[in-house]
Amino acid sequence: MDQRVEAKPKKRQFLPPEFVRAMLAGHSALGLAFAALIFIVCLSGTVCVFINELQRWEQPDAPVVTGALSPDVVGAAVQAGYAQAVAEKAAHDMFVMGPGVSARLYVNYHDHETGVDGSWLADADGRLVTRVKAPFSDFVGGLHMNLHLPRTWGRMLVGLIGVALLSSLISGLLSHPRIFKDAFALRRGGSKRLQEADLHNRLGVWGLPFHVVVSLSGALLGLSTLIVGVLAMAAYDGDSDAAFSVILGPRATAEEATAPVPDVAAMMRQVQAAKPAAQFTSVQIDHVGRAGQVVHLGMRTPGHVALGNTYYFKGDGTPLGDGGLETGGVGQQILGVLQPLHFGWFGGYPIKIAYGVLGLALTIITHTGVTIWLARRRDKGRPAPGWEKVWAAVGWGQPVAIAASAIAALYVNASFLLGIYLAVVFAALLLAAVLPNAGVLERVLRLLGSLAMIGAVGAHVATWGIGAVDPMAWIVNGVIVAAAICLAYPLARAVRGSALVSAADS
Amino acid sequence: MLRREITAGLEHLSTATVALVTTAGTLLLCGGIALLRLSWLGKRPRNPPYLIAGWILITGGIAAFDYAWDAEVGMAYGLIALSLVAYLVIAAGFDDRAHKSPRLLREVALEPEDRPANWPRAVAKALLSIVLAGIAAIGVGVAFAVAMPMGAHDRIVVGGLLVPILWGAGMAWTLSDAKLLRATLVLGSVSAVGYGIAFLPKALL
Repeated sequence: MDQRVEAKPKKRQFLPPEFVRAMLAGHSALGLAFAALIFIVCLSGTVCVFINELQRWEQPDAPVVTGALSPDVVGAAVQAGYAQAVAEKAAHDMFVMGPGVSARLYVNYHDHETGVDGSWLADADGRLVTRVKAPFSDFVGGLHMNLHLPRTWGRMLVGLIGVALLSSLISGLLSHPRIFKDAFALRRGGSKRLQEADLHNRLGVWGLPFHVVVSLSGALLGLSTLIVGVLAMAAYDGDSDAAFSVILGPRATAEEATAPVPDVAAMMRQVQAAKPAAQFTSVQIDHVGRAGQVVHLGMRTPGHVALGNTYYFKGDGTPLGDGGLETGGVGQQILGVLQPLHFGWFGGYPIKIAYGVLGLALTIITHTGVTIWLARRRDKGRPAPGWEKVWAAVGWGQPVAIAASAIAALYVNASFLLGIYLAVVFAALLLAAVLPNAGVLERVLRLLGSLAMIGAVGAHVATWGIGAVDPMAWIVNGVIVAAAICLAYPLARAVRGSALVSAADS
Repeated sequence: MLRREITAGLEHLSTATVALVTTAGTLLLCGGIALLRLSWLGKRPRNPPYLIAGWILITGGIAAFDYAWDAEVGMAYGLIALSLVAYLVIAAGFDDRAHKSPRLLREVALEPEDRPANWPRAVAKALLSIVLAGIAAIGVGVAFAVAMPMGAHDRIVVGGLLVPILWGAGMAWTLSDAKLLRATLVLGSVSAVGYGIAFLPKALL
């Protein structure tokens, strides 16, 4: 983080200037090395906070399910999902998720041997109604979680990006000797570098609890496979599954004899007998319909950040304990809060909106970090106009690329989305080669991004019409239009300013 | 969904009380942040009464959230509200002329240490901060997960959580420390101790 100090420091400073200068050098090097990746992960992460709403936007004709689900409805959804899985020869593992964060009853089955996978949305009675079709949400989710690289490597890279972000927060704080004195200074005008530094530091310091939580939880989620892999070598004879089962609960055994589908409704009643306020969140059944099957039933009780505690059962209903995610040991509770704290899925829409604001702040911090470095070079008489344009293309090209992917998702096969996204990113870089400077490039990309967002809303309305659809579709359309206006607003001000100057001149 | 979240805070309080206490907590945070601003940015910098009162109000605000929503959820809500209130106070105090003020014109930005471009050194730093710091952090985390006298769940998760923290701290340190050999020796030693502890029980079997 950049900052100001007195030109003639008389008092002994808490952080010695040499230490601060060394930290700043490290902070700059780290930020520059990872800037583009951190920016993409932060921006896509901000969008992912609302991924459930985006799924509803993409499929506004699917049933909306709200409120607590009864055991019978969950049982019906499991049975319906199993019947469909058998019909598609994919009855191996099943997952049902309730409407806790998504207002959807989601049913998935998967056979890792055949690769067959099916995802459905069920109605409030547990009947499968329509297959899930949310290619844009899947695309943004993939961009955030593994940058669309092969799954394991992508997640590890995103984990490393989380570590780099965490490291930047540490070095940023340690290179900020006037953290309190400047805590409220937000000044515009004068040097661009100091102006950007004010924004960078204010957003960084006051959002620190959020920034630390999302970078730490993201790093841990991304690196978990690597960490558990090493742990498995040290203590579990290289068996990662055994190490994971200590943390995530019992796994299915290899007993392949046919068995009845677990009575999930009875299991829910069993949990609710002990905890009447517990509500269904999800159920995972590994090796469904086989003698070795195991059920992980997620039930949430009020007053906890965790999305729910996990209760383990054998297929015949015999309890196998629980994960302690709500009231267990420290490690269990940390495990329970990782995902909701990372995505902001623990307090309804107010918290999601707050996470959206704070996520955007983190994205701006990343962007201004590089612009400060570029402005510093310019101030010192060593401008890097090429890099200024590249950074403008990377930063301001993202809204265009993501919005273009949203439009494409309405018309083309999901497999083309990554290509379209990359094509737009490269087109933005080509524009950087053509346009005279970063300021012009930024304005062009802001305009294109705004138009692409409006285009996404137009395409959505053209696809789904203005008839009776999920009201969330209209809310999301409204938010996208508002974002487009915000993106283009500085352009309108600039045009208005130019017009006033011209009028004054004439 | 909001109604369900409000219900979540209602085990011991009525809806109206939760709303009232939450509003009171938010106002306390606003007041606390405003007082800190007066202390740090006002004409009398570091005005101690404002400073102390500001922190007291902020503590009271977070305590109000804890009371309304229970400690676990209330702490999360309170810290999020604190960030947002601070952003609002900063935006409200936005200054379009400050860079022209004589006081601030006296101030200059501290420059990062001047380090001439040196590719072999840059590659070495990258290897240290990304690879060796990562190896050392994972070693310590796994050693914690294997050897700490805690429940299996706790030591594995806490050990796992240590990895990104130590890796991030190691990265920040190696990138700011100009002495490559020192960083290499320290990280190498930490790795040796960490993996030694982690794999020793297996080696002894």
